[in-house]
Parts: sequence; structure tokens; C-alpha cells
Amino acid sequence: MSNKRPVLSPGEPVLAQRTANRPAPGTWGPKALAVRLPLLLSAAALAFFVLAALVPNALAPFDPLAINPAAAFSPPGSAHLLGTDESGRDIYSRIIHGSRPSLLIGAAATAIGLGLALLLGTIAGFGGKWLDFGVGRILEVLFALPGLLLALVFIALAGPGVGTTVVAVGLTTAPGYARMIRAQIIALRTSPMVEAATVLGRSRTRILATHILPNALAPIAVLGTLGLGQAVVWAASLSFLGLGAPPPAPEWGAMLSAGRTYLALAWWMTFFPGLAIVLVAAASTVLSRALKTAGAR
Amino acid sequence: MNNVRPLARRLFPAAFGLAAALVLAGCAPATTAPESGNDAGTPTAGGTLVYASGDAEPSCLDPHVGGNYPQALVSSQYLETLYTKDAKGNLVPWLAEDSTVSQDGLTRTVKIRKGIKFTDGTALDAAAVKANFEHLLDPKTASSTGYLALGKIDSMKALDAATLELKLKSPDNSLLESFSMPWVAIESPTALKRSQEENCAAPVGTGPFKVESWKKQDAVNLVRNEDHVQPVATPGHEGAAYLEGITWRFIPEAATRYAALQAGEVQIIDNAQPDSIAAAAKSQGIKHLDAPRPGASNRIELNSSKAPFNDSKVREAFIHAVNVDAGIDSLFFGTAPRSYSPLSSVEPLAYSAETLFAYDPAKAGELLDSAGWTERDSEGYRTKDSKRLSLAFPVSTSQSIPAEQSLFEQLQATAKESGIEIKINLLDLSSWYGELFTNDYNLVSAPYTKVGPSVLSILFHSDSTIPAPSGYFANLSQVKDPALDELLDSAGSTADEAERKEKYAQAQKLVLEGHYLLPLYDQQNHFLYSEKLRNVGATTAVATPTFFDTWLAK
Repeated sequence: MSNKRPVLSPGEPVLAQRTANRPAPGTWGPKALAVRLPLLLSAAALAFFVLAALVPNALAPFDPLAINPAAAFSPPGSAHLLGTDESGRDIYSRIIHGSRPSLLIGAAATAIGLGLALLLGTIAGFGGKWLDFGVGRILEVLFALPGLLLALVFIALAGPGVGTTVVAVGLTTAPGYARMIRAQIIALRTSPMVEAATVLGRSRTRILATHILPNALAPIAVLGTLGLGQAVVWAASLSFLGLGAPPPAPEWGAMLSAGRTYLALAWWMTFFPGLAIVLVAAASTVLSRALKTAGAR
Repeated sequence: MNNVRPLARRLFPAAFGLAAALVLAGCAPATTAPESGNDAGTPTAGGTLVYASGDAEPSCLDPHVGGNYPQALVSSQYLETLYTKDAKGNLVPWLAEDSTVSQDGLTRTVKIRKGIKFTDGTALDAAAVKANFEHLLDPKTASSTGYLALGKIDSMKALDAATLELKLKSPDNSLLESFSMPWVAIESPTALKRSQEENCAAPVGTGPFKVESWKKQDAVNLVRNEDHVQPVATPGHEGAAYLEGITWRFIPEAATRYAALQAGEVQIIDNAQPDSIAAAAKSQGIKHLDAPRPGASNRIELNSSKAPFNDSKVREAFIHAVNVDAGIDSLFFGTAPRSYSPLSSVEPLAYSAETLFAYDPAKAGELLDSAGWTERDSEGYRTKDSKRLSLAFPVSTSQSIPAEQSLFEQLQATAKESGIEIKINLLDLSSWYGELFTNDYNLVSAPYTKVGPSVLSILFHSDSTIPAPSGYFANLSQVKDPALDELLDSAGSTADEAERKEKYAQAQKLVLEGHYLLPLYDQQNHFLYSEKLRNVGATTAVATPTFFDTWLAK
């Protein structure tokens, strides 16, 4: 979130200005297309990986686990689109089959992170001075530890694996989100509509349920999309370090790590899994920006 | 991108080194390629060799303490042993002059060579050797490898300046082989009296180099021992070493280490990876030294202490279900010949049984059927009493190179075709020890280096299933066979060389035919070095290179 102001008041002059040079909805001229191109490409890339995660067998020509030592280290070509790895497994098929764990870990971790953040943020933002103080200090402690270290500590305690990775990444991203959500809720709490509701004698629970949470949800969707890309990168980092799913699971980070040994011999073993990670991370960032602008409009 | 940054950081020094080399190449006169081989030309003295090790930096430079291979590699430059192996592989006296054993095998007399001094001026004599053995056997030293090697010594006495008499608890015909290992190297008794911390930082020996300084996390600096005397005249030269010194660096990342060699930043690297060796074979400026370690071969042990491997048919089936050869061919680029023995190919008493290890899924299937693993589950794995045929395989990432880990994945894939599930669990060293300690494994691969066939007792005697105080036990296939124990005991204590050979052969036959292990290849020990480095190739009995005769061409 580069824009520090909470995205919540529609029609705010600054944002209105920023959106002024965007193409009007429904126009598809060359200029509008050029502006929308990154968005379209991102949507296409993400759609491709989501499709790969849903129906990998429809897209992958080979079994991602089938070895063929005789065809090890084949460069990209007609037989193997993106080449083969050290055991002769098809890189393209492994990337396709790797989409599901990568995206699932990303989505689940983001959900955990946001869920935890929503809870902590709401308690801090709406629970009064002392709860705010208590949660604030907990968040500060979590912030004091670098994210990766926090994840590693958790994995060291709980043991490596997919489930642990999901929780570790979720825990790591939660403090950041929690702070943003707290700020949102405090801003909403002091907004005229909540003040009006309070004057009308509505209960705190009802105010939270009808006014504050629904209004806080739109920014959370933006955070979620942005977080997805980030969580995929985190998950890949952990599996790169050998803390993800055990071999021979086709995980992008693990593939990157395996290819590193053979960088001089078979660049494709590292390049393509890396490209997949970059694509997902970049595409979800572009999409989240678009969502943010759309929400502000 | 969190996960790409470390890679860039690792490649940076290499790229920088390459850039520096290119700049320097512009001003330096071009060197002429040697016309006939590695060792052409007249040796010139001088220059410092930069050695890059891929091992973790030892925490102590005295190989008495603990006792692992990285310590052996570096200490072979400044410490010497009582015995060693000559170029033909024969055991020959080095700091010792001779040794005899009594008729009952319980008294061994060692004659110590005269006229040799440690680099601190202390003279080498029988009392010095006794002080070393006492240091090794002192629990405060915390020696494991050396301690085990001298385990049969009951008491010792310096009869005169040159004669040491050892009383043994039981006959031990591997004692001289043990004396040839760097973990039992002889240090200055004066230096050993210092605190362990001081001695670890700069052990004092009789070798061609001495430790000058150790900048931790960076390098060990060795300088030439100007007063060095070769205990035995060798075909090389006399006097001090040619090289002025050795800078012993640690570069754990294999690709960076190789890049540093290519850039000329270092002149020799250890732990060279198969793909680098294959690439170096095509390059003019880099040469290869293949020095398989003695002791055990690299093998997968089958844990016979629990199901499903308590059934020898299942063990045999596993051995026929995995395709080792195809994996070795594709992953090791011809650098690792297949082994069919529990012992290294450099062990003269190694016994091989190739016919037992054919890849034969049909036979594996028959064996599994007859062992009752007839049903299949939804994933295609065999089951018995609705339990899946699943094998836990903890792998220590610090003891298995990437090519070996890939080989294990290929075995996993071929075993699946026979309905056997292998669960590979990549672990750090301490977690890996933990799995062994709690007996949570069916398959495991652990290296073991030792000089001579007595390593078989360490790996397969039932005594070795009892964990040491540290929790480690070496008999990982957990063979408990009284007949085998009897064979190993008599093979280790007989004074008759022919009987020793025969008994050790029978013992190896027994463990191979019992399907307790799957041999893969020798313990890989490859070095790549610049062609400017001449006369490389001399090694100690445990295949660590020594650089006494080595010189740097201009």
C-alpha cells in the first residue's frame, strides 16, 4: 500500500484527479487499450495459472513425476517445451502442476493472514484504549522480527510441510494487514455515519456489523489480491530453502533451488520456474492496483 | 523477489572475480600452454596456493577433537601420521620406523623415527606419541574417530626414547591402519599441554606447512615449514615444500566455488560436483583429481529391525525395484562408477557381488507377492492387511550432494512402479540424527571413512547397534547376526593375513546376500585444480591431498 491514506471515502479529490486520465469505462480505443494492456496481460497470466491449478492434466503434456534419465537436461524444444530437469522430468508439466500448491499456499496463507489481521485489527480499532494498547504491543513485537525469520521460527517449531508453510506465511503477513485494518476501523469509527448511528443509540455490535465491517471489506479485497502475490513469493522462498512439500512434489521454489546447482549447464531449470513466480507476483500486484482504483472511483 | 536475491549475491563474487581476471589478463603477459602434460617443466619454489573447500569450516583445527573429514583435509597439510599409504596403496611406516606384535597379539611395539622435530622445536619421541594417544583417549578431548580407532589400547609405556609399547585389551590387526589416519596424527606434546581452545586454533605438527593464523569465517593461513624433514625419502624432492604457503578458504556454494577456480581466484577446489567435473574435462586449463575415500562405499542401508524390512524378501524386492544405474549415468556424468560392495574400491579386501543388484521389477513383484504384499491401494501402492508398503527415507542435506538427492528421487520414482512408496525427508544434520536415534527410518545413507576393512565391524557388528553416549550408532541396517559377529571378531583379531582376507570376504558376502544394503558408488572425493598447479596427486591414507611436491607455474 503505497498510498497511505485509507481508501474509503468515495469522491475524494486527490483520487478523483488520479483517475481523471484513465479511460472512461467502456471505451476500447488504441489509447485506452495501451493503458489497459498491463491489466489485461496480468489478468490473462493469472487466469492461466488459475486454470493450471484447477485442471493441470488438461494443460500438462507429461506426468510431472515421471522420470526419464535418458532425456535428462534436454534444452527447451519441440519434445519438451521448456526443457527437462536432471531426472528428465518435463519442466513445463512440473510448472503447470506446481501452480496448484503455489496458488493454494498463496491463497490459504493470505486468507489466514487477513483473517487473523481482521480479528486483531478489529479488536484494536474497536475494542477501546486498553485492547488497542495490548494488540499494538503484540504487533510491534511481531514487526521487530523480520518476516522470513518469523516464518522460519514457526517452521522450526512445527516441522516442515505444506500446512506449516501456509500457517507460517499467514502469520508472517498478519501484522502488516492488522495495522492497516486497525487504521481503517479507527477512521470509520470517527466517521459521521458511525457518529450518527451512535447518537441514534445503536449497539456497538450492530454498528460494527452494519457500518464498520462492510466498509472495511473493499480495501481488504485489495489487500488480499496484493497479498496473494506476496504470499506466493514467500511460499516459494520457503520451499527454495527446502522447507516446503517433500520431494518429488513439483513446487516452484523447490524447482528453482534444484536448478541452481545446474545453472551453468541447464539455465531453463531455474529460469522458467522463476518466471512463473515473477508472473504471478507481478500480475497480482497490477490487479490489486486496478482494484484499488476501481474501488476509489 | 526474496528467493532470487541470495542467488544473485552468490554469483556476484564470481562475476566480480571474472571481471577482475579479464582486466588483469589485459596487462599480464600471455602464458604459454604447457606442451607435455601436467608436470612438465622445472619446479620453481614460491607462491601461495589458494584452496577453496566446500565443506563447513571446522570448529577446531586439531583432528583429535571430534574427527571429521574437513578436519582431515586441512590438517593433512601440517600434521603427519605414524603410518601412511604409498602410491601403490601399501601401508608403510612414516613417523614410525617399524612395528612388531607379540605372538598372542596383545603387545604391540612401535619404533619411532629419530631426528624429527615439531615446528615448535619439540623433538618427536616415544613419550610424544604416548602423550598424543593419551590426549585422544582422554574424554575431555571429546575425540570420536580417533578414540574409536585406539579403543583396544589398554595401557602404554615408553620403553626408551624411540620405543613405545602398547598393551591391548584384545588383538587388533587394524591398529597400523588406524595409525595412518589424520584423526590419529601426531602433534607436539608441548602444544597439547595448552588449553583446548589454543590448540584448536593452531595445532603444532611435523608437516610441510604450519598454521600461521586462522581468520574464522574467512580462511586458515598456512605457511611453509622451513625446517621440514621428510621422514622417508619420496620420489619428489627433499627439504621444505615448494609453496610458500596455502590459504585455505571456505566457499560452500558449489557453483561459486567452480566459478572462483575458473576465474583464477583459487587454484584448487574440493567437493567438485559431477556437472563441473564434466565441464572441466572439456576445458584446457582445469585438471581433475579423483581420490575415492577408503572405508565404506556410499550405500543405502535397509533397516532390518522393523517392518517391512524385517522380512528379507521385502529387502530383496526393494533392491530389485530401484534403477540405480540409469540414475548414476545421467546424474554423475561418468564420474562415479557403480559399486557392488560394502567397501570402497580402494580397499584391497573389498568383495563385490554384482549379480545381486540387477534392476528387475518382475522379480521384485514376485518377491513382494510371496511376502504377502498383494493388494493395491487407490494410488497404486502395494498393501498388506490394508497397510501401505511405505518406506521412510530421511536424507541429510549436508551429507548428500544435490546429484545424490536427485538420484534418491529417481529411486523413489522407479520404486513406485513396483508399488513401493518411498518418503524422502530432507533434513538438517541434527534432525537427521534425531530420526536415526528414534528408529524412524527404513532407508538411510550415511558415509563412513576409515582405513582398512575393520570398518565392517563398525557398520555391521551387533555391538554397533548400541548407541554411543552421543546417541549415534553406525550399524544402521541393524544387522544382529551372531555368525556375522563371530566372523568380524575373528577377522579383526587374527594374525594370519590370509585368514583375515577370507573372513572379511565371508562377512561381506553375508551382509550382501542378506540384502541389508544397496551399494551405490565410492564416497566421492573429487578435486579440480588449475593446470598452473603442478605435481598434484599425492594423498594421505584417507585420500586427502598433500602439497609437499606441488608447485605453482608462473
